[in-house]
Amino acid sequence: MTDISMHLTTDEIELWAQGLLPAARAMHLADCSLCRTEAERERKVILELVQLPKFAPNAGFADRVMAQVKIPTPSGDWEQR
Amino acid sequence: MFSLLYRMVRDRALAEDLAQETFIKVLNGIKSYRPEFKFSSWIFKIANNAAIDHLRRKNIDTLSLDGAPNAETPEQMRATSLQLGDRAESPLDEVQSRELGTAIERAIARLRPEYRSCILLRHVEGYTYEEIADTLDLPLGTVKTYIHRARNELRGYLEDRRD
Repeated sequence: MTDISMHLTTDEIELWAQGLLPAARAMHLADCSLCRTEAERERKVILELVQLPKFAPNAGFADRVMAQVKIPTPSGDWEQR
Repeated sequence: MFSLLYRMVRDRALAEDLAQETFIKVLNGIKSYRPEFKFSSWIFKIANNAAIDHLRRKNIDTLSLDGAPNAETPEQMRATSLQLGDRAESPLDEVQSRELGTAIERAIARLRPEYRSCILLRHVEGYTYEEIADTLDLPLGTVKTYIHRARNELRGYLEDRRD
């Protein structure tokens, strides 16, 4: 069991940033300005990271890949698409 | 997977080449896939290896701004040096600058490649620490250390920028 007076670990700070920190540890956070400052700094970075956009390749990418793939034929040979 | 590759190599055309290489390896090597492994993790593993291999090769091949290492005379150095700014920015370069030019993207680019893979898998792809360890063939403790160090470095870069 974790002592309520112990500072939050980096794993716990990540849990807090995700809203998953157990209530007992959240109580420590409410009372400890050191942990709150650290947790806020960490949350800012995590928020920036999770909001990063997903990128997609340019149009025609799937066709270019499939043109390179070998498909097995019923005779057991490989056919280039 | 394309996002990971693009952020690893920061070059759209190259990321597409590596993504293509990854899919061809996946589709042609499907018989070697082990079902106890998550399929998407297997794809990320192949993609990440392709990116890391490329970055290692690029490190070896990097040309000095002062010219080739074996250049002895000022003429040879001039002839083999990289000329910055002598190439007009193409439309693709503009897209890249727009996509990867934000402070957080530039901060990610400054991380060591192994930190970059871990932090992207964790916070962009939403992998758990255990899944990252499986995907990258790293001990769980190493993954945690890399992610914590990466976040610390990112915080440093971003806070320097704000100062």
